[in-house]
Amino acid sequence: MTNLSPFDIQARPNRLLAQALSCVLFVVCIGLYMHTSVERHKENAEDRVVPSGHQLVAGIRSAVLEPAEEDDYIPAESASTWERLRHSMIWKDTASSGGRFFISLALLIPFVVLAVHIGLFPWFGAGFLRFFLFFDKIVALSLLPILFIAFGIDQWSKIALIVIGVAPTMILDVTQMVKAVPQEQIVKAFTLDANNFDVAYRVVFRQVLPQVINSLRLNLKPMMLFLFAGEMIAASDGLAYRIAIMRRHMGMDVILPYVLWVALLLFLIDFSLRVINRRLHPWFQA
Amino acid sequence: MQSKRLGTFSLLCSLALLVGFSDAATASAQAPTFTVGWSVYAGWNPYFYMQKSGILKKWADKYGIAIKVQRFDYAASLDSFVAKNIDACAMTNMEALDMPAAAGVDSTAIIVGDYSNGNDAVLVRDNLTFQTLPSKPVMLVQKTVSEYLLERGMVLNGQQAQLGKLHLINTSDSDIVAAFLNNKSNEAVVTWKPLVSQIVADKSVHSIFDSSKIPGEIMDLMVVRSEVLNTPNGQKFARALTGAWYETIQQVAAGQANALKYSAAASGDSVESYKEQLKTTALFVSPKSAVDFTDGPEVQQKMDLVRLFCFKHGLLGQGIHSVDDVAIAYPNGTVQGNKARVRLRFNSAYMQAAEQGKL
Amino acid sequence: MVSGMSTPEMTAGLHLIGEQATRAAAKAKVQAAKSISIEDVSVSYALERSARRCVLENISLEIEEGEFVVLLGETGCGKSTLLRMLLGQERPTAGQISVAGSRVERVDARSGYVPQRYSLFPDRSVLDNLMMGPLTSKFHILGRLRPSYWEARRAVKAEAFRQITHMGLQASDAGKYPYQLSGGMQQRVAIAQALMMKNRVLLMDEAFSALDPSTRSSLQRLLRSVWSETRPTVVFVTHNTAEALFLGTRLIVLARESKDDACGSRVTLDMKLAEGGMTLRTHGQEFLDLVEHVEAVSCGQRLTAPGERRTASDAWGEELGRVEPVRVSPEDGVRQ
Repeated sequence: MTNLSPFDIQARPNRLLAQALSCVLFVVCIGLYMHTSVERHKENAEDRVVPSGHQLVAGIRSAVLEPAEEDDYIPAESASTWERLRHSMIWKDTASSGGRFFISLALLIPFVVLAVHIGLFPWFGAGFLRFFLFFDKIVALSLLPILFIAFGIDQWSKIALIVIGVAPTMILDVTQMVKAVPQEQIVKAFTLDANNFDVAYRVVFRQVLPQVINSLRLNLKPMMLFLFAGEMIAASDGLAYRIAIMRRHMGMDVILPYVLWVALLLFLIDFSLRVINRRLHPWFQA
Repeated sequence: MQSKRLGTFSLLCSLALLVGFSDAATASAQAPTFTVGWSVYAGWNPYFYMQKSGILKKWADKYGIAIKVQRFDYAASLDSFVAKNIDACAMTNMEALDMPAAAGVDSTAIIVGDYSNGNDAVLVRDNLTFQTLPSKPVMLVQKTVSEYLLERGMVLNGQQAQLGKLHLINTSDSDIVAAFLNNKSNEAVVTWKPLVSQIVADKSVHSIFDSSKIPGEIMDLMVVRSEVLNTPNGQKFARALTGAWYETIQQVAAGQANALKYSAAASGDSVESYKEQLKTTALFVSPKSAVDFTDGPEVQQKMDLVRLFCFKHGLLGQGIHSVDDVAIAYPNGTVQGNKARVRLRFNSAYMQAAEQGKL
Repeated sequence: MVSGMSTPEMTAGLHLIGEQATRAAAKAKVQAAKSISIEDVSVSYALERSARRCVLENISLEIEEGEFVVLLGETGCGKSTLLRMLLGQERPTAGQISVAGSRVERVDARSGYVPQRYSLFPDRSVLDNLMMGPLTSKFHILGRLRPSYWEARRAVKAEAFRQITHMGLQASDAGKYPYQLSGGMQQRVAIAQALMMKNRVLLMDEAFSALDPSTRSSLQRLLRSVWSETRPTVVFVTHNTAEALFLGTRLIVLARESKDDACGSRVTLDMKLAEGGMTLRTHGQEFLDLVEHVEAVSCGQRLTAPGERRTASDAWGEELGRVEPVRVSPEDGVRQ
């Protein structure tokens, strides 16, 4: 008889049961949703707060196949499915949000490099560390009006918001990683005639890179959060822009698919970073 | 035994979630307590005074019910109303149509409080006109009366054909002033007071169109869920609220110091600034003026423009294929749209009762 | 050789190399043969309230080319601090240190280094670890873009494979990452990595302390044989007396004579050892006596006159009851 007590640390759940258990909460959530939706639709057939499966399918269809309202309408007959997809609302929004996301991701690279310097070179540490410790505690969102002055209301203020929001945390995190590299490694590298930049980039940076990628994985969600905040405040396209607009008339039938789509995208980015990390750094075990 | 315990646990979890969803709705239906939601706006700020001064309690006591007043952000107040967490809510005619009505929540406007008579404005820099506007980015809160005002401005200035070329930037009202003023390359903005006053303080910005040019099209209503109104207690609630409202608004209009002080404080404005906002708000101070307006033919014309705008912008929802599917009923019995699908009703009975002193 | 045991210096239990007067005169003459010189070095740290903790006090040592010096002492006696100063990782509070003919200011490639842990770069294969030294010294970070890099790399690679077999590793280990190697193999690679630089000075900090006894003894034998081939100057820090007696040609014990913070460690024993190493098997009683003596000295005690030395059995009984048990495996003289 298997031990089924949930409060037994030494329990050895059998595989099948454990798998089944891991699905339970998903099923409960879906069930709860469907129940609420059915109840609400019994009372009000046009309820939009908890859209029914029907409404959701219609919402997904319009998001995936129909162009955004501000764009030109493409008649269903004259275009292939692929073309309709290419000009669809969700494609357009994903492309513009994705652009912002990846530009900010690229802009984080110099900050990671700076962090390696801060952790390794005493003069850099003296100059920057305290500032970033302080800056990290600033709530980036509250700086928005300043960002608007400096970067305008287009693309760059949103990107700046993400970078300002995430970079200090990344810098402090990476600085810690660099400082955790054993002193022996650095001394050894110098005895092998490495110069300062060899030590910084070919010894320390290489060693912390997998941890940096892991830290980035943890920061994906804050990045998305900042992107959403930016897009909800001022934008003319983007995933969060659409959600903000849809909220105006309770278009939950479109909002819910969008939310799930964003979750899926984040999961995929995270997953691919994990795979890349494992491929690139077979020696890294954590 | 063990698995049973686990089962009980998950059952409890789901119960907790369910209760969270439904308690607000059931609670308000059982007790004779009603909740009114309002948000910051010149025409709605008096609700704050109404509560603070005890006028509301006096009227509620008269009818033997309890009325709670709750301040929300505008969007949140609409969400709560649609989710049936509150029984009545202050909103514009446009939102009344595209939020509760279009979401299938049958709603009734029992008070037409005012219409915007210059509160909303299209502001530009550098002598921009409606002819040159389409090439420039325009900042506004999209899908609200701001966008409606902009379109009406374009149409009334003969630029209907250019509507599709407008480049709109959806900007949150909490940041729109800073975002617009801080960058000279932003040339046009559509917003409402008191934000308008803050923006025109910059001398290079001026108004090219405002809601006084479309009088009566942007109305501010007190909307009650029809199903609440159809219960005896609900009718008491509507009567009490209407009575309290006219007592309040008459004090405000008469310039009573406390009434103005509290109403201004509701939005954190100075009394001066609040008075300035009232100037561009066409308040229906007497119930008679409100009844005359609501029962008149004009309302139907204005609502027609609004419902066509909502439909064109998809605000009535994905599933609505005809503008007539969200129909509007008027006090004289006429129905705009499909008679079987009336979702928004204008009801002047309570205002009439106030006019006749029968509350 | 082992007769060094009974020299007068030995009986005194203390032998400081040179004396102030003769040193200055001898300096110019021995310069060529001298590999490491430590002159009047003291190290102390500031504690709170202007108090200072002295770690090393007036250390002066001259180490000649080709010596295998073992630095012995209890935990916290400052032997690792001394090694770090030889590396350039730390600077003395007073005095100065020269290695290979010039003052040590910073860590550089004049000496090879084998630490106890983290001796290999975890992100590089064994081969890359070995090639790293010779390649970086010719091609710094962007230098690898030069075409001559690949030619040089081939040459270094051949040398690396020679070292791999020399160290008793398989050629198939070349592609492995450090985490795939046992501790002993890692240290073999670490030694090879240092040897690749063909340094005349090799600094080793408790290099074998984390290894199990049998691995440890085979690495000790490996180190001895590698050393005897080219005879570089080695400074080997350990706290294991048997290891010290087996490896070194010269034994230096650092010890603190008082618990007082203001009083740092000094050189309390400096003696030549038998060339070829001492073990229990080869030297028997002599070895045991020496172990006992050295350990007493490193505890800060002075041993009584040599005449009072006990017999082996006495010593065993005493040791067991008094200090920690000393087990000397007859095989290789490693104390666990």
